Amino acid sequence: MKTSERDLFTRLAQSRRVLVGFVLLGTLTLSGIFAEIIASPAPIVAFGRGQVALFPGIMRPASYEVLTRAEIDHRHDGDVTVWPLVRYGPIAPTEAGPNAAMSLSHPLGTDAAGRDLAARLVYGARTALGLSLPAVLLGMILGVALGGLAGILRGFWNERLLRLVETVDTFPAIIVVALVRAIERKPSALSLVIAVALVRWAEVARLVRAEVLHASTKEYVLAARALGASPLRVFIRHILPSAIAPAIMSSATGVASVVLLEAAMSFLQMGAPSREASWGETLAEGASDPTRLRLILLPGLLLLITVGGSYMLADAVREAIDPRSPKARPRPDENP
Amino acid sequence: MLRHALRRLLWTLPTLIGISLITFLLLSFVPDPTDDPTFAASLSREELAHLRRARFLDLPRFANVSPVDVRIRAARAVRAVAGDDENAEEGRRELQRLGGAALPHVLPLFDSLPPEQRARLALSLAPIARRMGLPRSDDATDPARAVAYWTRLWDDRGVEFRRASVRSAVNRLERYGSSNRITDLIELDTFALDNVLGALRAPHDHASVERSRALIDVAAHVTGRDDRIALGDDLATARACVERWQVYWNVYRSDFVAFTGPARLAAVLLETRYGKWGLSAVTQRFGRRLDGGAVLDELARRAPTTLGLLFAAIMLAYTAAIPLGAISAARRGHRLELVIACVVLGLYAVPTAVLAVTLRGVFGPDAVRFLAAAVTLSLALIAAPTGQQRAALAETLTTDYVTAARARGATITRAVLVHGLRNALLPVLTLAALEAPMALGGAFVAERVFELHGLGEATIAAVRERDTSWLMALSIAAAGLAAVFVLLSDLGCALLDARLGQATMNRKGSA
Repeated sequence: MKTSERDLFTRLAQSRRVLVGFVLLGTLTLSGIFAEIIASPAPIVAFGRGQVALFPGIMRPASYEVLTRAEIDHRHDGDVTVWPLVRYGPIAPTEAGPNAAMSLSHPLGTDAAGRDLAARLVYGARTALGLSLPAVLLGMILGVALGGLAGILRGFWNERLLRLVETVDTFPAIIVVALVRAIERKPSALSLVIAVALVRWAEVARLVRAEVLHASTKEYVLAARALGASPLRVFIRHILPSAIAPAIMSSATGVASVVLLEAAMSFLQMGAPSREASWGETLAEGASDPTRLRLILLPGLLLLITVGGSYMLADAVREAIDPRSPKARPRPDENP
Repeated sequence: MLRHALRRLLWTLPTLIGISLITFLLLSFVPDPTDDPTFAASLSREELAHLRRARFLDLPRFANVSPVDVRIRAARAVRAVAGDDENAEEGRRELQRLGGAALPHVLPLFDSLPPEQRARLALSLAPIARRMGLPRSDDATDPARAVAYWTRLWDDRGVEFRRASVRSAVNRLERYGSSNRITDLIELDTFALDNVLGALRAPHDHASVERSRALIDVAAHVTGRDDRIALGDDLATARACVERWQVYWNVYRSDFVAFTGPARLAAVLLETRYGKWGLSAVTQRFGRRLDGGAVLDELARRAPTTLGLLFAAIMLAYTAAIPLGAISAARRGHRLELVIACVVLGLYAVPTAVLAVTLRGVFGPDAVRFLAAAVTLSLALIAAPTGQQRAALAETLTTDYVTAARARGATITRAVLVHGLRNALLPVLTLAALEAPMALGGAFVAERVFELHGLGEATIAAVRERDTSWLMALSIAAAGLAAVFVLLSDLGCALLDARLGQATMNRKGSA
């Protein structure tokens, strides 16, 4: 590892913001990935009658969705089972009825349609992060490639690419989402991921292009070129390492903005109705009935955590990579 | 400077066309009701074809390599009738529908056909002769005399089937409007339609209603489409009728017109779904919404609310952000910086929906709700410019001239206000112009919660009803506005900073 990189990692590791951001986002990501362990109608493991069922709810989801709590209990009667924390899924209405108060079986109560709120929030994390992480990643790859191209190309195509970046960058994401929603017969996450990535790349491309332009006048790039390196090699080996940092930073904030976009979209109930759990949808439910404050505060809090966490990460990365930032070099006047 | 601005403004035109092409391509995948198999099964084949045609689904998207005109349709129908196969009946109906417009392409074929085919063809044209109201039209129904009748007719009247003569006949009708002129046009049958319906304008007074009535009478007679302006109809009814005919003509024009020469080239682009949309965008104010109103009017009615909301929110946010950013830059490492950062970040991260619902207690006149929505929206917008301002100012404060000023005894306040802010303001102001498109989603949410009738409401409805014309117009308007904002911010920067202005010019000049 090069000294500069080790330096960067040390600086990142020491930052309290990085730690907080990592813990917040990590918790949400993990609970999104392992949502079935936290909330599911089916047991996590069930031993009994000479067989072992591991995650029967994931293996045979249809067989559990239609059953009531009592029927599931009956099915696993006599088995040694490990149950999830919340014994309800996010989609099926529970027997507790709508707007039930908090109780042992419903730690956060139920929502207006009688579905377990805790389960909905946990699976909402899956929706939010499952949409934003791939979209941001895809946008970043596209952005780095096209931004690099825009920095390297000269003349006619440079101008066209620049105009394209500018146009896409200023095009409202919500309209792209509206267009995609209008096309779909059934709302699907994949098309949204692609749509969001197709808007997100421009911001990354703009930043990368600026870095490339900045770096290509530097001595080390000139030296590499003088040694006969191809433009591609110069870009990948010499320019990209310094250009990737702003792209990463912008992508970290991008996670926040995509999560907020998804929430806004579900809140506005654009397109065909979906049964998928989403924080924005819970917010919309809460908005229609202001007495259920829980339905607004809890998803709002989760959004706050996601956005705050990614923002803190981005900010810390920016501080760490910016050579002009006071953390990176001794400050001239500590106490004014 | 002006040249640069004009040049950029011109460049937005191809950009907008590009945006419209991409949006159109996307929206062409919007499922049509007729794609639904259960709905399609409930209709007859003709009804289905008619419905699909009215939506231009029979046309290709962007380029029609072989546009179908009256010549091709007539040739097809002639083949079917002459061949006397299972499609003969359909061919007869088609010939009758095409009418006079098909005659210049059918009658000259007579000589090339064997006698019995010629007779069949001539007989199938009989309904047209009746419709044209020509003397001795009974001859056309007589198998023995039909061929002779049509040959003679073409020898006598073939010269009248020319665009110039139709044009002057329509002119005469418009100017003098007597029943004689109507007869002149009816004798040309559908051949006159292009000029008759082309002369149709939305009426604005009594005289023009009368003119439209005469024109529509001719069109209704020859097409058998019984949609006329009655004698006592008022202006609005007449307008609606004229509009219906214009829509009809937009769909069916290619059935009655031959594409020759440049018209054929134009048809390659215009006889497409995109071409039809583009034409309606230009001539019919971006087409009709599902409720019948023009899209452009609706857009113009709703846009001020949303744009005003965005503008007010951005102004509010920047008014708060610039001092906040300046304070946190001046107080680096202090607790105050941390507090500001946390508050601002918190406001950014709280979804607009939550804020809006919390603030929704405000019920009152529109102005109050508008203000509440603007405040809600602005809270989320404070974070970005504050951070930008802090970063820019912090950078300026480490420059040599600020250090020099401090060394000479200037206070930190003076350093920030006099030396720092002036230079650090520019990048922040550039950001302001680009903020609007990003805030649009939030504006939709705020509009919904505060029940403002802006673009958001209409867009949600359009997505639900799959109203493509609204989404097309919205997408183009958004891109156009964004381009103008970018241009304004560039120009603003160039005006504020002479060095930057020079740089912009040079970049443009060398590129």
